[in-house]
Amino acid sequence: MTQTRSLIDENGKRTDGRTGDQLREIKITVGVIKNADGSAFIEFGMNKIVAAVYGPREVHPKHMALSDRCVLRCRYHMTPFSTDTRKNPAPSRREVEISKVMREALEPSLMLADYPRAAIDVYVEVLQADGGSRCAGITAASVALADAGINMRDIVSACAAGKVDDRIVLDINDTEDKEGDADMPVAYMPHLEQVTLLQLDGVLNEDQFNQCLEEAVKGCKMVYEVQRKALMQKYFGNETELKEEQ
Amino acid sequence: MQEIRRKYVVPGDRIIEGNFRPLFNVIRAGNSIISTRIGIAEAGREGVKVIPLSGIYIPRVNDIVIGKIMHHSSLSWDVDINSCFSAHLPAQDVFGRDFSPARDDMGRELATGDLITARIIAFDRTRDPMVTIQDKDLGKVPRGEFIKISATRVPRLIGKRGSMIQTIEQATHTRVLIGQNGIIVVTGRNSEGINLAVRAIRMVEEEAHTPNLTQRVKTLLNVSDSVPADASQLAQPQNAPKNEELQPPIQEVEEELDVEKGENVP
Amino acid sequence: MSSSRRSTIIVEHLRKQQMWDSISKGKRLDGRALDEIRPIEIEVGLIKKANGSARVKLGNSEVVAGVKVETGEPFEGLENKGALILSAEVLPTASPYIEPGPPDEETVELARVVDRGIRESEMLDLSKLALIPGEIVYVIFVDCSVINADGNLFDATSYAAVSALMNSKLPVFEIRDRKAVDTGEKQNPPLTTVPVSITAVRIGESVILDPTAEEEACMDARITITTNSDQNFAAVQKGSTGAFTVEQLKRAAATARIKGEEIRAKLRESTKAGK
Repeated sequence: MTQTRSLIDENGKRTDGRTGDQLREIKITVGVIKNADGSAFIEFGMNKIVAAVYGPREVHPKHMALSDRCVLRCRYHMTPFSTDTRKNPAPSRREVEISKVMREALEPSLMLADYPRAAIDVYVEVLQADGGSRCAGITAASVALADAGINMRDIVSACAAGKVDDRIVLDINDTEDKEGDADMPVAYMPHLEQVTLLQLDGVLNEDQFNQCLEEAVKGCKMVYEVQRKALMQKYFGNETELKEEQ
Repeated sequence: MQEIRRKYVVPGDRIIEGNFRPLFNVIRAGNSIISTRIGIAEAGREGVKVIPLSGIYIPRVNDIVIGKIMHHSSLSWDVDINSCFSAHLPAQDVFGRDFSPARDDMGRELATGDLITARIIAFDRTRDPMVTIQDKDLGKVPRGEFIKISATRVPRLIGKRGSMIQTIEQATHTRVLIGQNGIIVVTGRNSEGINLAVRAIRMVEEEAHTPNLTQRVKTLLNVSDSVPADASQLAQPQNAPKNEELQPPIQEVEEELDVEKGENVP
Repeated sequence: MSSSRRSTIIVEHLRKQQMWDSISKGKRLDGRALDEIRPIEIEVGLIKKANGSARVKLGNSEVVAGVKVETGEPFEGLENKGALILSAEVLPTASPYIEPGPPDEETVELARVVDRGIRESEMLDLSKLALIPGEIVYVIFVDCSVINADGNLFDATSYAAVSALMNSKLPVFEIRDRKAVDTGEKQNPPLTTVPVSITAVRIGESVILDPTAEEEACMDARITITTNSDQNFAAVQKGSTGAFTVEQLKRAAATARIKGEEIRAKLRESTKAGK
């Protein structure tokens, strides 16, 4: 994954015009899928991803139910038209792995013991993929879980940082993902201050590793603000403060 | 009169710091009480709780629910109660102790698709809820207009001691059967009344958390603030809420908080 | 991958009663007339990575379709024509009654019926999309994903696929050294007609258009009819376990022509394309 061309110009601008510490534009809409118990649509850069939550609900097949807690199932899936070359609809190994790490990123935030013998299904569908689709997917999924009214200790926010032109930058885009040096997606619970997903693709020395991790966590906190605002918007409209009845 | 502080919260939000008692939909994290749901947080002398604005119905013993018959095994009916668990209605509840599958036709008594008003008599972490239809006013729902709302809005729809739902019933000459699980059946003399009642119910569902809702509902129903109870039209709501069963309505601030055994008391 | 059925809807008896009473008086539970189609929203070009895309909302049923163009071998027996490959899946996001799994018979039928309407009407002049006949042709993929299912997925998916095709810009390939090379230029697809699918279901003695999921759960039989811009019939499919009278089918066909023309105008307006 070593670079061949320069991805940051003399003015510090990246291929999409951002500076090293800027997030791409994020838009989140809550409650977009009428049939789902909770849902969210996220646009994160060019990523267009929809997340739906069904649950808690009955476990099918019954023998998969756990007596003391809820079963959590996550599916990350890309539509055939979401990538540059058409993708076969069957799940790839990459999708299977991302489904797993996504579940492991979300599970620490959920109070699964409150719903024994039930299941929560999280479905993340990527309609258009840009760099960082798993982070965008986790971000949308956590909002969808809150929308569904499932007991949570915290929201999960996700963002990646990476190394491009030997510099640590925040929220790498598609080009930087393909041509840059390193990519580190992180998921984080902002109130509990815990990391729930960490992966690294590429080579970093110790300083770079620490810096990259801190940068990604900074990004997660910025992502959280967008998540919170989207939830408040759906449930409380433009009222952020509770107005008392006279 | 205790100090009540209320605010809008999402999961993870810190509601208050200090030695308060967590009531429901909150957990303690260090010195703070944090919310586990989207809703309205209330912190007072009795403790801290969050009244949720989303979430499915989780059964509680003694709740009155409206359920839909799905299938039946040889010994009980499976009932959809709009929750993550289906409920069971034992055949013996209907036919008596000497129920015999050979002689007694379960499908004839209650068929797939039938609605029943039932009471939850058993439910815990280890098994599916069990219901009964043997009490007064329980049983098959023969007619009416069927609506589903979020179970989290039911307390607001019922109102303080039934005030909201009675306002709607009286103004529209209808009878509104409300299940704690969010299933509602409206019956009435004419369709205008029923349609108006449905509109009022939808308004309450959508605006449950907003102030001055009662006023807006009355405006919709064309009701003045001092409408006397019309005894001839007054129909007691089928499940006239007894205070100890009722989750405190969202706007109830002056009364004592009912310390309700809600979901997830930690 | 696609969709399997997890369980089926059980409609409350009271609700069925309400539905029957209402329909016998000429109105449906959502207030529509028997031959009224739900509001349709069409957004095109939302997937920039696709050659064409559309998001269609038919009432609460929502489908996203994307067109991707490649080159490849032609189908056997169709050496002079470009290849059109249409697939449809009902995503597990769409309904509590769906779970991930291999496509079940309903999903397969959905894909094939939508494909048939587009293929038999010859919406795309595939003869214009062969580069070296017998060896290299344009391969047009149309993939449809149902995001929310509230009845009449046949029409919702068809409108999404048709809109995505009308919205698409195909790459211009040319042959160099017997290989297909993308010149970087773009061309409009060779469209000849706009096929429009209209679905109706029979409930009791009435035939109603554009059913919701609840109405489908109470239906006796279903008919999907696709007409082209000449208002001729290109594809028909009867579904479900009940039956129609000949009279009902003739009337449904006549209605499909009229309503089809209305929807056609809407598709043209939303995509700014199509004959």
